[in-house]
This record gives sequence, C-alpha cells and structure tokens, in this order.
Amino acid sequence: MYRFFQLPDFGSDERNASARLIFSLAISMGLMSVLLAAAVWIAMPALLPRALMIAGAIMLACAVSVTLICRGGIRAAGVLLVFVLWAAITAGAVTAGGIGAPVVIGYVVVIMMGGLLWKDPQRMLITVFCILTAAAIALAQQGSLLPPPIEYPPAARFGVYLFFFIIAAIIQRVSALNASELIKKVQSSEIRYRSLLENIPVTTYLSGMELESPFQYISPQIENLLGYPRANFTLDPLFWTKILHPDDAERVLEQSRRSAQTLEPFAMEYRVIAKDGRTVWLKDESVLVRDENGTPSYWLGVWTDITNLKKAEEEQTELINRLTRRTLHLQTAADVARAATSILDIEALLSQTADLIQTHFECYYVGVFLVDETGEWAVLRAATGEIGKQMINMGHRLKVEASSMIGWSITHRQARIALDVGADAVRLANPSLPLTRSEIALPLSAHGKVIGAMTIQSEKPSAFSRVDVTALQAMADLVANAIENARLFTERGLLNKELELQNEELERFTYTVSHDLRSPLVTIRGFLGYLRQDVISGNMKRFNEDLTRIANAVDKMQTLLNELLALSRVGRIANPPESVPFDAIVWEALNLLSGPLDAAKTRVKVAAEFPTVRVDRLRIVEVIQNLVSNAAKFMGDQAEPSIEIGAHGTDSDGKPIFYIRDNGIGIEPQYHERIFGLFNRLDPSIEGTGIGLTLVKRIIETHGGRIWVESERGKGATFFFTLPPA
Amino acid sequence: MIGEPILVMLVEDNMDHAELVIRTMEEHRIANRVRHFLDGQSALDYLFRREEFADPQKSPRPHVILLDLRLPRVDGIDVLKAVKESDELKSIPVVVLTTSEAEKDVARAYYNHANSYLVKPVGFEEFKKMMDDLGFYWLGWNTNPHLPD
Repeated sequence: MYRFFQLPDFGSDERNASARLIFSLAISMGLMSVLLAAAVWIAMPALLPRALMIAGAIMLACAVSVTLICRGGIRAAGVLLVFVLWAAITAGAVTAGGIGAPVVIGYVVVIMMGGLLWKDPQRMLITVFCILTAAAIALAQQGSLLPPPIEYPPAARFGVYLFFFIIAAIIQRVSALNASELIKKVQSSEIRYRSLLENIPVTTYLSGMELESPFQYISPQIENLLGYPRANFTLDPLFWTKILHPDDAERVLEQSRRSAQTLEPFAMEYRVIAKDGRTVWLKDESVLVRDENGTPSYWLGVWTDITNLKKAEEEQTELINRLTRRTLHLQTAADVARAATSILDIEALLSQTADLIQTHFECYYVGVFLVDETGEWAVLRAATGEIGKQMINMGHRLKVEASSMIGWSITHRQARIALDVGADAVRLANPSLPLTRSEIALPLSAHGKVIGAMTIQSEKPSAFSRVDVTALQAMADLVANAIENARLFTERGLLNKELELQNEELERFTYTVSHDLRSPLVTIRGFLGYLRQDVISGNMKRFNEDLTRIANAVDKMQTLLNELLALSRVGRIANPPESVPFDAIVWEALNLLSGPLDAAKTRVKVAAEFPTVRVDRLRIVEVIQNLVSNAAKFMGDQAEPSIEIGAHGTDSDGKPIFYIRDNGIGIEPQYHERIFGLFNRLDPSIEGTGIGLTLVKRIIETHGGRIWVESERGKGATFFFTLPPA
Repeated sequence: MIGEPILVMLVEDNMDHAELVIRTMEEHRIANRVRHFLDGQSALDYLFRREEFADPQKSPRPHVILLDLRLPRVDGIDVLKAVKESDELKSIPVVVLTTSEAEKDVARAYYNHANSYLVKPVGFEEFKKMMDDLGFYWLGWNTNPHLPD
C-alpha cells in the first residue's frame, strides 16, 4: 500500500521501517474507519452519528500522521496515531457497551503498535496503560457508572473485529516485511565486507586477547601469500611464531608480548618463511577492538606483503652504497694520482699512498711492500699507524712465495682477497695486527714486472667487494708506476750528481792539464831561447844546464801524459777481477821497483801472511808501486829508510785492511785529504806530477775500497786501504 | 826611489820558471835583487816576518810580488789573500804570474785584489818581452807606495 507513496529516506533503516509502519497504519486505519462508518450506517443506523464522529477523528488523526511522517516527525506521528486509536477505543467502550464492547479488542492492536514503535520501557508503559484503561472501564461498569451496554448484533460485532483484525494483519505484514528486509540488508552488507576483506591485497586477521590463542579469523589471502592453509593459523596458536625468520623472531615476540601488556597498537616489519622456503617481508599492524562496554575483545590486524618494497629499499641502499664507494674510489684515486705525479721521493710517495687509502677506505691497516734486489724478500717500506712504524723499524719482510698473501700476490701477479681471514689458510696471521678480519693483497706491477705488493686490512669481516678490488688494483697500478718513475727519477738524480762530480773533475782536470802541461812548455821554449844565446856567447856550462832543464821538462811532460793516460784508464778499461793472494801482488810491484829501492838502500819488510783478494790484479800492482815509491821518495834525511807492508784485520764490511808504513818525513794532518787531490803536491823539490795518489785513490775506489793516511810530520806515514776479499 | 835597492819577491814552485824570470830580470837590470820562494808558506813567513825572517833587517819589504797561483803547502791565492788582508802589506803591488789562463783563476785573483794578472807566455822572445815590460811598468813607470819597514 505504501508503495503508492514514495516515502523519503529518514537516514536509518530503523527510522525507515518505523515510518513505513506508521504510514501503513495511518492509511489503513483511515480507510478502515470509512468502511466501519459505512457498515454502521447499513447495519445500525442508530449508531451512525457516533460512528461518523469516531471515524472522522481517526481519519483526521491519520491525515495529520501522514503529514507528520512526510515532514520527518515519525515519532510524533506514531504517538498521535497510538493515542488517537487508544482514545477512539476508550471512547467507544465508555459510550457503547463498556468492557464487553467489541472495540475493546483494539487495545491489543494498540499494544502491538506500541511494541513496534517503541522500545522498553515505553512499550511496557503502553501495555500497562492499556490494561489499566480496560480495568478502569470494567470497574466503572461494575459500579454502574457507565450507561447501560448496547447489545451489538453479531454483524456489527464482526465489523469491529474485522477492523482490528485487518489492522493487526497489516502490522504483522509490515513488521515481517521490515524484518526480512533488514535481514537481507544485513546479509548483503556482510557479504560485501567479507568480499572486501577477502579480495583486498592484504591479509586480515582477528586474534584473541590471550597471547597464545589461535587466530579467530584469517583471510584467505594468507594461502597465496605464504602457501600455508588457513587452518594452520586458526588451529595452532603457535603456528605463526614457527614461521618467523630466525633473525627476527626474538624482537617480534618481544614486541608482541609488550603489545599484549600495554594494549597499544602493534606495528612491525619482519620476515617470515613461506612454505616454499621464500623469505617474505611482512608489515604487521594490528589494533585492539573493544566491545560497546569498552572491554577489549580481540585484535584486528593486517599483514601487508612488503617484500618488493624491502627489496627496492635494499636495492636503493645498495645503489647508494655503491655510488658512495665509487665516489670514494674516485676521490682516493684522484688523491693518489696527485701524490703519484707530484711526489718523486719513493718513501714519501709510499707512505702518503698508504695513508690516503687508509683514510678513504676506513681500514685498519695499509702496508706497502717492495721486492728487494735479490727478489727473494718483500720488504715493508711504508705502513700506517704506530704498528706500521714499528714493523718498518723491525725490518718486517715476507718471503716471496705463496705462503703469505703478499708473497702469493707477487708470485701470481694477482690480487688476493680474504674475507674472513680466520677461514683463509693462506694468510699468515700477524701477531702485530690482531684485529684484522679481512684483507686484500694487491700486486704492484709496473712496466710488466711486479715490484711489490700492497696489503689493505680491515677489522670487519667481508669488508671488501670485487668492485673494491678492481678500484684498488687500478690505484695500485698507478702507485706502482709512480714508484717506478720515482725510482728512475732518483736514479737519474744520482746519475746527474755523478755526472756533476765527473764534470767538476773534468773541469779540474782540463784546468790542471792546461796549467801543468803548459808549465814544461814555458820551460822548454824559454830555455831554447837561452840555449841559442849560450851557443852565441860560448857559455857551454850554461848551455849544458839549460839543455838538462829542457830535457827534464820534456821528460816531465812525458810522465805527465803517461800518468794522465793511466788515470783516464781507471774505471774505463777494467780487467775482469780475479782472486789473487795479496802477497803475489806485493812481490810483483816490488820487483818492478827493485832498481830505485836498492839505489836508495830502502829496506822493505813484507808480512808473511796475507788474505786473498778479488781484484783487477794489474791495477792493484800499480797501487802498490805508487805507494811504495811515494814512501821511498819522501824519506827526507832518514838514515835507515824502511817500508813495511802488511795486513791488519777487516773493516765493518768484512773487507781486509792493508797498510804500507814508512819512516819518512810524514805528512801534517791538514794535508791528509789534499794529497789525494789531482795535481796537489806538497813538496815542489821532490819529483812528481801530483797524479800518483789520485790514481791510487781512484783504483781503490773502483774496487769498492777506501784509502786513508795516518801520519804526523817527521814521524813517517802509514797508508791504509781496503780491498774486496776473494 | 833612486838609489834605493829594488827588491822583487818571486813566489814560484817551478825552479826552471824561477830561473827564467830571474835571468831575464838580471839581464835587463830590472831589479837589484830578486828573492825567490818555492812555496806559499815560506813566502808568508818572510812577509809576516816569522821564524827565520823575524828580523826586519833581513826581511825588507819587496817593491813588487810576483806570485804563481799553484803552490805547494799554501796556495798562491791564499798568499794573495793574506797579503791583501794585512794592513801592513796590502799596499804592495801583487802581480800574479802563472801558466793558468782559466777564467776562474783570473776572477779569483782580481777578487782578492791582485794588482795585475799575467800568463807566462810560451816562447822565449815573448817571455823576455813580458818580463821587460813588467819591470818597466811596475818598477819604472809606476809610482810605488812608500812602505814603512
């Protein structure tokens, strides 16, 4: 019936249902009252005025109700309707027939309407009110306070009953309709929610308040997510703790216990192991749901699969790390390159490189080894920190063989990486570096040969990646080349210095030669002039004198030239060294000098035992010859000139020391150095070119030996020199 | 100057060269006396009147010093330095007479206030001419300082 009227939506199902009910009642009551009046008019015309009055009142009330409903006044409409019905029944009962009047049955309808329209206690109130009204009517009739009852004919009685039956039927029908609609609605909304819950890309669950209570509900997405059946979760209270990732289990359980105590919302990201063994990152968020009384009833939670998010996050972190490291490598490389190109001193370059790498890579220790001349040992040349300094001072070195990481990388010309040295047998644990957990050894190779290796050590296990090794190797190559360059530069520097020295000597040489060779020429040409005068003047005595001067000058020039030639041969022409007993050399020299020595009656005493030496024999014979003839020359007025030749132990390098001692005029200490200089002569009255001792010194030095003199004026002189042993 | 005996000091380690100088000077009557020293040390002993030359009577001041550069014991340059650093001796003209043409020697000599630098010529006539001119210039034309004894 209400379908003919479109009722507005009153905002809630309950209000809509009430409105529908009241509306139906109002309309049906209106219609029924018209029918009732018509029936009265036909069956009991005597009662028509009263019937018309009641029907009019009811219709009016119904009209007002409908208007009220349409304006939203559902409650007022209900009250009005119930009240009017009650008033009409009461009026009918009082005026016509008392408690026996058929209209009294209407109270049942009023009670039903009240029951539908209100809740307790109003509902009860209406029931009580109706009972009381009926009781009041009955009492009034008992006390004959009411007019005498009218006898209703059966048809009239049926008409009244029918009225109420129909209203009751409408009430039943509408309320049933409402109820079924409500149920349908509730059902559809639950389906909606459930389908929502079970189709959204997260897993929802409800779990009990007890820590170890099983899940009350878990949405089916879980089966896709982890592969376990839902029943596992809902039946086994501890199942979810069993699939936690071992690394995360502890903190998850701890947090979950805390939440259970504090009732604070739980939110965590952790890993679980899926049935197929995958690791799945979950974001678990749950909140406590309380009932209407505020008592905690269950946890409502959501599991979101954040594996991809985590992976992306990890990738991002990895990317950032890689970029950071790359930047670091570039920075280090730039610094090392700068050092490599600007530092030509090898030691400075090595230590700067070690420091740079240590700072940039935040490692514990960096050491640089260079292979020594023998090629057997890698010697620590630069290292970081106090430990490094100590190890360098201790002369730390490693054998070039595969027993150490350094040795291995030198022999294999390859980088070697040990990520947890405890497990890597190749590394020789160094007691000075106890904290090392991972290590790289990088060969230093330049111009195709391995000149050493670098070790980089970290306190962290697995501190180095392949990328690091590549970058570090590039740097190591750079350093190796720089070392090689520095080495060449140093060599060139030494060579330059040597050239400078040679140049200086050459300058001195040409200067002296121009002076000393010129000198006899001045004599020769000068006296040649006088020779002519002598002939003219017939002064034969002076002629002979001058001739001698010229001849001596010519001899002197000859000697000078020969000695210069000998000097220039030293170091330029070298006979292969041979092992010779030193006394053989001495006797060979003495034989050559026998004439002059005998003439001067010089006694020569030669020691009985001499070590064997490894020398250019001819040159050393020259040395002895020079030294002995020098000794004989500077005897002064010594009555018993004597020369002693002997050996006297070894120097710090293990080279035997020899000496030639005389008892001649001696040399004052201030001339001890000068006598070895080219063309330096102390006594012009004694024959000599000033080359002899220079020659001796140079020959000794080309043999790697040393010569020095110990003497005082008037107390003889001893020349000491060393030679390489055989 | 006239009547005063002219004394030339010759410091020369080469006996032949000394003979050449002395002979030429004698022949040309350049000097009344030439005192010859074989090394720098004895020359300085004479000039500073040490040891055997302590008596001023026996060590009159020379009018000119002819000095070779390369000398035994004390080098010519050191003799020059000692003379030019001495208040008493620095006014004596020092003529370096050497075989060296090296620029370094020339520079060092003049740096140490040598008054003249002569290179001994190779050749009899040239040698004689130089000695001649040398005598003429330093002992003839040149006005020498008056030296206190």
